[in-house]
Amino acid sequence: MIVSAFLKSLFRRRGRTLLALAGIAVSAALLLDMTMLASGLTVSFGELLGASGYTLRVTPKGILPFDSEAAIDDGAGVARRIAAVGGVRAVAPVLGAQFRIVRGDSTGAPVFTVGIDPRAEFLYRLERGRQPGPGEVVVSIPLARDLGVRPGDELALAGELDVTLGRARATRRFRVSGVGDFLYDYAGEHSLAMTLADAQAATGRSAGVSLFGVATDEGVDDETVVRRIAAAVPEVSAWSTRELMGEMDKRLLYFKQLATILGSVAMVVTALLVSTIITIGVRERFGEIATLRAIGVSGRRVLLAVVVEGLSLAGLGCVIGLPLGLWMAGRLDRILLSFPGIPARISFFAWEPRRVALAMGLVIAIGAAAGCIPGLGAVRARLAQALREEAE
Amino acid sequence: MTGALALALALAQQPAAAARPEPLPQVLVDRRLAESVPLRPGDTVRVRTLAGRGEPRPFVVAGVFEREADPNRISRNEIEVRFHLPDLQALLPQPDRVDRFALVLERGARADSAARWVEGVAFGTRAFGSAELADQTSATFRVVSRFHDAIGIVTILASAIFLLCVMIIRVDERRRDMGVLRLIGVSRGTVFRAIVLEAVAIAVAGSAAGAGLGLVAARIVNAHYAGVYDTTLRFALVTPRIVLIAALLGLALGVGAGALAAWRVVAVPPQKLGER
Repeated sequence: MIVSAFLKSLFRRRGRTLLALAGIAVSAALLLDMTMLASGLTVSFGELLGASGYTLRVTPKGILPFDSEAAIDDGAGVARRIAAVGGVRAVAPVLGAQFRIVRGDSTGAPVFTVGIDPRAEFLYRLERGRQPGPGEVVVSIPLARDLGVRPGDELALAGELDVTLGRARATRRFRVSGVGDFLYDYAGEHSLAMTLADAQAATGRSAGVSLFGVATDEGVDDETVVRRIAAAVPEVSAWSTRELMGEMDKRLLYFKQLATILGSVAMVVTALLVSTIITIGVRERFGEIATLRAIGVSGRRVLLAVVVEGLSLAGLGCVIGLPLGLWMAGRLDRILLSFPGIPARISFFAWEPRRVALAMGLVIAIGAAAGCIPGLGAVRARLAQALREEAE
Repeated sequence: MTGALALALALAQQPAAAARPEPLPQVLVDRRLAESVPLRPGDTVRVRTLAGRGEPRPFVVAGVFEREADPNRISRNEIEVRFHLPDLQALLPQPDRVDRFALVLERGARADSAARWVEGVAFGTRAFGSAELADQTSATFRVVSRFHDAIGIVTILASAIFLLCVMIIRVDERRRDMGVLRLIGVSRGTVFRAIVLEAVAIAVAGSAAGAGLGLVAARIVNAHYAGVYDTTLRFALVTPRIVLIAALLGLALGVGAGALAAWRVVAVPPQKLGER
C-alpha cells in the first residue's frame, strides 16, 4: 500500500514525471547506442568474415588480409600443405589485383579484382549466371547496373597503362559469366572476380596468392587449426575470426573509447536526473513520510517505497529509451557507413542481448541507487522536527 | 627524393662497418622504431620487403625522424622507414615505380590547369591541387564530424530536458510563495521575468562550469590518446568559438526552460497556487 501510494505521487505531478521520463529515456537511448557501438563493428565484421563458412584467413607472414601487396609465392604448394592440416575442410585461394575496364578509346578507373578458385569461393554470392571459367569474369551488382552489362556480354580489361603512349596496355577481352553480390564491397563499388589462373597470368604473378580462406571441419576449434597451420606452414600467418576481430578492435579504438566516454556521461546524467526528481519528491513529502512513521509504518517500508519509485522511473525510462535508442542507432549507423571503404554489409551498431540487458540493467540500478540517498535521509530525519516543519 | 612507404620490414642489427669501398645506402627510421629496437644513427640494419623477393640488404641509419602528426594515418599508426627512392625501388618487385609525385608550381601558375595538363600528358594519372586533395582525404573526418554533430544534438536534447525538469521542480517547490507574491500585487510579468532570470542564471553558471569541465576533459582526452597513439595530434579542442557557442546554447536553453516553467505558474490564478 505504501509503495503504491508513493507510485501514485508520480502521477500527481504528471508534467514533471513525463519530463523526467523523457530525460531518462534520452540518456538510456544514448547509453544503449554507445553499448551497441562499442562492439558493433567488430561483431558485425566477425559475422561477415564467417558468413560463407571460411572462418580462417592465411596471409603472407605478418600482414593482415589485403593490407599490402605482399603475396604468398608458391600458392599451389602452400594450399596443398594447408589442406593437409588436420581439421581443415576447404582452402580457397585469392589473388587481389587492379584492372581497368577499356571501352573504345577510354579507360575507366581501377576496378578491384580478385582471382579465385570457382569451386572454393567465399567473397561473393552469385546472383545471376554462373561461376567464371577461363576467360570469364563475374561482375559486382553496381558494376553490372552502371555499365549495363549482363551475363554473356564482353568486357575488355587492361592490367596496365602505358603512360607514355597514352593507352591501355595488356588489354584482354573477358566474357561476363555472372553477376555477384560482393560481401566486402562498400556501397556502389565496382568489383570483378576471375579465375585465379587468369588473374595470375594478367598480373605476371604466376603462382602468387594474396590470401587463403580456410574452412574448418565441424566441431573443430578454429584456434587449434590456426596453431596447426602456423606449425605446418611457418612462412605464412594464419588468422582466426577472433584474431581478425581483435585487429579490427585496435584500429577502431577511437570509437570504442568514445562510446565508453559517452556511455559514462549518459549514466551520470541518468543518475543526476533520477536523484534530483526523487530527492525533491521526497522533500516535498517529508511531512507525509513523517506522519506515516508516526503511525507506525517502519522506516524500511518507507525506504523501499522511495527506492521502488526511483526504480519505476528508471524502468519506464528504459522502456521508452529502448525503441528510441534503436531508432537513433539506425540514423547514426547511416552516418558512419558513409566512411570511405567500409563494406556496405557491416553495421556499426550490433544488437547483443547480453550487453543491451546489462546497459538497461545499469540504468535501472542507477534509478534504485538514486532513490536510496533521499530515502535514507527521510527515514533518518528526526520525527518530531519533521512533523513540526510540516505543521508550520 | 625520399620514398616514404609503410612497409613491414625484417630488421637485423649489425655492428657498424669500418671503412668500406662503397658506402651503404642510407635510411631514416621512425623515432618509435629507433626507441623500440633500439637504433642509433650509424647503425646498420638489414632490410627486406614483404612484397619483394631476395635476400635482405644492408642500410645505414642516417637519422631518426619524428613523423608528422597526420590524422589520416592515426588508426593504422604504422611505423615508417624512409629510403632514397632508387634504393626502395631496388627492393620492390616492380622497379621504376612511383605511387605519387608532389609538384611545386611556379609563382602565379594555376593548380587546376596544371593538374589537367598533367592528366593529359601522363595517361592514367590523376592530379589534384592541394585544396582538392585535402577535401578528398578529409572524407573520413567529415563523417566523424557528422557523427559528433548527431551525438551533440542528443546531448543538447538531454540537457534541455534536464534543465527544464530542474526549473519546473524549483518553481513547483515555491508555488505557494509565487501565489503570495501575486496576491500582494506583484504582476505576472515580474514573476515570469524572475523565473526566467533564475533559469538563465542557472544555465550561465552551468555553462561556465561546463566550459571548465570541458577544458579539463579535453586535456585528459588528449593526454590519454597521446599515450595510446604516441602522437602529438590533439583529439579534443576547446576553442573560444566552441565555448561561445556552448554558452549561447546554454543561454537559449535557460531562457526556454525558464519561460516554460514560468508559464506553468503565471497561467494559474494566484489563489490556486497554494493548493496541494
